Amino acid sequence: MALAHSMQAARQPIAADAQHHPLSGGATADAMISVEQVGKRFGARGGAEAFSALDDVSMQIRSREFVSILGPSGCGKSTLLRMVAGLVPCDTGRILVDQTPIKAPVPEIGVVFQTSNLLPWLTVEANIRLGAKLRNLPRAQIAARLPGLLETLGLTQFADRYPHELSGGMRQRAAIGQILLLEPKVMLMDEPFGALDALTRDRLNVELLRIWQHSTLTVLLVTHSIHEAVFLSDRVLVMSERPGKVLHDVTIDLPRPREPGEIKSNPRYGEYVTELSKMMGVF
Amino acid sequence: MKRLIEALLFWTAVALIWEFGVRWSGTREYVLPALSQVFKAGWEMRGQLLADTLTTAWEVLTGFALALLGGLAIGLLVSMSGIARRTVLPLVTALQSMPKIALAPLLIVWFGYGFASKLAAAVLFAFFPIVIATIGGLAGVPRNLEEHFRALGAQPWHTFWHLRLPAALPSLIDGLKIAMPLAVIGAIVGEFIGSEAGLGHLIVFATSNAQTSLSFAAILMVTVLAMLFYGAVDLISRSVWWRGVSV
Repeated sequence: MALAHSMQAARQPIAADAQHHPLSGGATADAMISVEQVGKRFGARGGAEAFSALDDVSMQIRSREFVSILGPSGCGKSTLLRMVAGLVPCDTGRILVDQTPIKAPVPEIGVVFQTSNLLPWLTVEANIRLGAKLRNLPRAQIAARLPGLLETLGLTQFADRYPHELSGGMRQRAAIGQILLLEPKVMLMDEPFGALDALTRDRLNVELLRIWQHSTLTVLLVTHSIHEAVFLSDRVLVMSERPGKVLHDVTIDLPRPREPGEIKSNPRYGEYVTELSKMMGVF
Repeated sequence: MKRLIEALLFWTAVALIWEFGVRWSGTREYVLPALSQVFKAGWEMRGQLLADTLTTAWEVLTGFALALLGGLAIGLLVSMSGIARRTVLPLVTALQSMPKIALAPLLIVWFGYGFASKLAAAVLFAFFPIVIATIGGLAGVPRNLEEHFRALGAQPWHTFWHLRLPAALPSLIDGLKIAMPLAVIGAIVGEFIGSEAGLGHLIVFATSNAQTSLSFAAILMVTVLAMLFYGAVDLISRSVWWRGVSV
């Protein structure tokens, strides 16, 4: 253990170097998520031809970093996220999370999907508890954390309601709550606010940022909203059309904590949005 | 209250039309008895009628329960195993395609005149809809929820208990609603073919002795019994309220 620690310390300069060249590949000791030359092909089925979804994708994400993946529809960004989650196997390359190769879902990772995936027959509170129950976390531990979590998410008054009685934004909060209760090291989010209206989306972005700020979470978010990516992230990775590759790695150098009014009137915010829009081929 | 009055008026009208239609047309009792004659015959034979009703009720209940257990088990097996889907399911379908009434005499040969052959007939009639409803319900579990459970690292048993079973319940309940009246038909058919007790036996006995009023009393009892059992299933089905609710 002591040896591992000293090795990590010795590698510090290299890791710092990799931070500036995230596309250089190769594992770094302090990477929480390390995607190494990953490829994915989907075989021919029925009339559909075989195609390559991801081609030689590499990325390093440090602990407590907030990184967004931005890309056009069908570029394989959701597939990549599912591969990091251990839901879809890699054809080539490998993925390490917290130094462990991912072959199946692990407790260190929590996934928030675009659909809230709440069970209609359970109350909001029971839904939030569900993940912890499935992972056999101690009841006392859940009971101790739950009230504070409900408070943070603004769901205290809705704990006994059923999901269909809630707005889409509330449901998505509950979905995030279910994952936060598990206290994962990594939270993967697949367009979690994609189905929400713009106002609710902005509000949830602010809340997500606040929650992340007060936690030790590493977040990897898939989105196709440039504004969302810039507002939330430390870094934005821009992916190409199919087969997906990482084309650009843009560090978002905006001060934290970020307040929406402050950040969005910051001229650099506009510059990042313009730059990323160009990279995405918007103009 | 208004609905109660509507129902009461309707059924009173039906009863009156039956009673006076028969009386005024001068139809003979052994062809079609008036309602009052049916009640009279039923009351005179109330001990017999009650005993036969209990016999049939017990056959239906146990038959339904067995069909539920067997149907669930086969439905689960077929849902989980490709081999079972290619072997057991065609067998069950073939069994279903056979006219089950044609099997009834064989059941008497195999299981005798008593309770066992009626139980077998009720099971045979009731279990197929339960198999189909179980398979359909389990196949309809939303893919996104299955994936979510996988991401949460849920054990297969947990996924079944917390996701698949509750998601399949609305469909399963529909199957039970179809199966319950079929269990009644199965028990009665079994009693028709060969028996010493039960409402089916009473119907055959009364009809062959030209006691048409008593036969009608027994038929009414079968109807009441079937409706009570169906009502019970319907009552249970109301606790499965999440049918069609998507979030």
